[in-house]
Amino acid sequence: MKGNGTKIGFIVAFLAISIYYLWPTVANMLEQNYVEDLPEAERAEYVEENAQRLQNLREESLSLGLDLQGGMHVTLEVGTPQLVRELAGEYLDSTLVDVIDTAEQEAIENGTDFITEMVQEFEERNPDARLSRYFRSDTENITRRSTNEEIEAYLQQQRDSAVERAMEIIRTRVDRYGVTEPAIFVQGNNRVVVELPGVANKERIRNLLKGTARLEFRLAAEPNQINTARQRIMNYYSNQASSDTTDTLQQQQGNGQNPLAEVMSTQTRNAYSFGYATGRDTARVNELLQRPEVQELIPRNMVLMWGASPFQTTPEGQEFFEMIGVRPDVEMTGEVIEEASVNFDQTTNQPRVSMNMNSDGARRWSRITGANIGKPIAIVLDGYVYSYPNVETKISNGRSSISGLENVAEAEDLVNILLSGALPAPLDIIEERTVGATLGEASIQAGFYSTLIGLVIVAIFMIVYYHAGGAIADLALILNIIFILGILAAFKATLTLPGIAGIVLTIGMAVDANVLIFDRIREEQRTGKTLRAAIEGGYSNAMSAIVDANVTTFFVGIILYSFGVGPIKGFAVTLMAGIVASLFSAIVITRVVVDYLTRDKSAELSFG
Amino acid sequence: MRWFETPDFNFLKAHKIGQIVSGILLVASIIVIFTKGLQYGIDFRGGKEFVLEFQQPVEVTEVRSELAGPLDGAPEVKRFGSPQDILIRTDNPGDITAVQSTIMGTMQQLYPDNDATVIKTDIVGPRFAEDLKRGALNAIIFALIVIFIYILIRFKDWTFSAGAVGALFHDVFIVLGIFTLFSEIAPFSMQIDQAIIAAFLTIVGYSLNDTVVVFDRIRENSMLYKTMDYDKMINKSLNDTLSRTVITSITTLFVVTVLFIFGGEVLKGFSFALMLGVIIGTYSSLFVASSMVVELHKRKQNT
Repeated sequence: MKGNGTKIGFIVAFLAISIYYLWPTVANMLEQNYVEDLPEAERAEYVEENAQRLQNLREESLSLGLDLQGGMHVTLEVGTPQLVRELAGEYLDSTLVDVIDTAEQEAIENGTDFITEMVQEFEERNPDARLSRYFRSDTENITRRSTNEEIEAYLQQQRDSAVERAMEIIRTRVDRYGVTEPAIFVQGNNRVVVELPGVANKERIRNLLKGTARLEFRLAAEPNQINTARQRIMNYYSNQASSDTTDTLQQQQGNGQNPLAEVMSTQTRNAYSFGYATGRDTARVNELLQRPEVQELIPRNMVLMWGASPFQTTPEGQEFFEMIGVRPDVEMTGEVIEEASVNFDQTTNQPRVSMNMNSDGARRWSRITGANIGKPIAIVLDGYVYSYPNVETKISNGRSSISGLENVAEAEDLVNILLSGALPAPLDIIEERTVGATLGEASIQAGFYSTLIGLVIVAIFMIVYYHAGGAIADLALILNIIFILGILAAFKATLTLPGIAGIVLTIGMAVDANVLIFDRIREEQRTGKTLRAAIEGGYSNAMSAIVDANVTTFFVGIILYSFGVGPIKGFAVTLMAGIVASLFSAIVITRVVVDYLTRDKSAELSFG
Repeated sequence: MRWFETPDFNFLKAHKIGQIVSGILLVASIIVIFTKGLQYGIDFRGGKEFVLEFQQPVEVTEVRSELAGPLDGAPEVKRFGSPQDILIRTDNPGDITAVQSTIMGTMQQLYPDNDATVIKTDIVGPRFAEDLKRGALNAIIFALIVIFIYILIRFKDWTFSAGAVGALFHDVFIVLGIFTLFSEIAPFSMQIDQAIIAAFLTIVGYSLNDTVVVFDRIRENSMLYKTMDYDKMINKSLNDTLSRTVITSITTLFVVTVLFIFGGEVLKGFSFALMLGVIIGTYSSLFVASSMVVELHKRKQNT
């Protein structure tokens, strides 16, 4: 047949390209099986000798999604409202705080950009007011005379650079932690996505990602202030409890009815301690202390903070945390830290982090310690007090250390966080998905068997229903799967479980084009045409229906790809790859085979 | 083998029955959806979901009641495939690590000799859930608009567009109604999540596939048999394509059933939605889409 030379050329070329891109995947699988079968002793040696080659193979293989190989997917959001508050700094007033809070709510409800919402909200409240009253920047040329648009652009640019920096810092932390082939990228305008294949300790990763590493040195609050505040708050809750209760029996039960006394003990370990509670009750204590009436009872120059680790653990595993009164003013922050390392306290043998400050920090540290001999200085990290050692002498060499760490791993992570730099704004984990390696393994198996069984059933059905025609369609179907995988490998797409489902679905739908063609051929034969004329008519008449049906499904694939996230994207990709591959194999490949088999006028070919 | 060699069913007569059946199913689905509300899964509702694998089977109700206290409210506890695997969903707002250790601690006390490991977690914050919901809704609306326009351009007749999109609404609402009605009693997750939305859009694509093939034949026949009654011509087109419609539905139903049985717990809801979608989509392209075209065509001609 004329023109079939080109068609055969295309088929061979596509097949060659697919195999070329799939080869590393196959080789990698073979290598892995080989390595697993090696005896223990030889295994390490072999892996080491071929490290580079094995890694290249792995990198060029069709990559598996986290749902198949196991791992952790985390979406972090940069706290833009907090960033704006910090940028406003000393200019922040109640109006702006209110505008920020409202805009935050609206941005969530409408799914819009927070900064745009904020500027709108600000202008709505007072059309004549200018945002320039709150923000200053010499480097960005933001002055009192800047327009609201300029401020908006400035804030957006600050946010973008904060996201960018957050991503860099996370990358440094993840690299130091040592995860193979992590993927870290920005999503939308304020989100960072982190994908970590095969991590086991989720807790460590969480802290590593979220830790703003805001290290602060603060003075402890005055002991008598701590005492007075505690008494006042306790009295407040006792009075409230007795006036609320009408039941006399409950009244007689004494302090059991004071809600704060129920969850927090006021027996203190030292003069700076406000009280202590079990780990489970700390949230309830926070809630009781956050109430505005209670906040008024706490003096202005004192804030209450929890200790980072329990000071006591009962044999049953109950942990007690202490609440400490510190000053609201920060004497110094962690920016001055130049070096940090893990070592052990010589007396307690507990892990701790030693820090070296730069010259500016050392100078300030010397002044602060000199002025506060005999008093404790609290070392606060991300809002938790790690320790509050008494200053014994003036420290002039710029050294300090953080104790109160639970284990060496925590100390190592802390060093990592301190050295990779502080995050420009707090990060929130807004999505976290983890899949264990065993579940991933099970999913791969399930996907593989589904594909195989689906393929066999459809193939048998096609032969039974369309005889020789069906066998030709089956050949096309098998090549089709090779093409789909080839396309995925060539475009460096990731194979996910929904992606495999897409392939299985394609097996069922790919034969559709052949069903359309073969049915058409049968119809043409019924009108009395010769076999070759019927084939010609069948292919050409079925074409418009095939195109229409596939174009619409392809559209759905594009839409799914652009709106979906994670594994769903994988489904969309295989769906689209499946359409392209199946059109090619169902129209071109079967045609070549059918033409070849009917090259003689007398040839017979059954379409069932 | 040949089925429906030269079929001559009177689909238009069956359209009357089809309209009644579809009408009842649609109204029932809409009532169920509005009275019960859509049963959102973790993606759209937010929360924390943990799948625990135990060494030996455990009792779902026991796990639920034991966790109610420590988690401040009873969590949702379901089987996740095998009796050793259970899924726990909670709205507890606490820190992820803290919630997980509360669950693991409680399980350790409840079953001291039956160790559990966490094999899967999904934590979705309320803000992220809102975003996912909005994205899913946009995807569906966008898909329907694109399809409407494509068919309008390709067939140059709005009655075809309306028929196709009408059939899609029909399919999606009925599957949604079934999912809403049975979400609590089903032995696998029938909650609406991202995967189900993907399944819906695939149903949309699939059902459209069927519908478009019929429409294509209508277009072809309308040029071949210019004098034939519109009704009769549509009936002939449905009969002409019947064999193909049935065969493709069978092969697709084969593979989605295989997925449902062998695809693992994660894909159960997804493949079930596809199974329903293939069945209802086939039905709708035979009895709903073209029936709507006939009705709309009559009205267009009368005005």
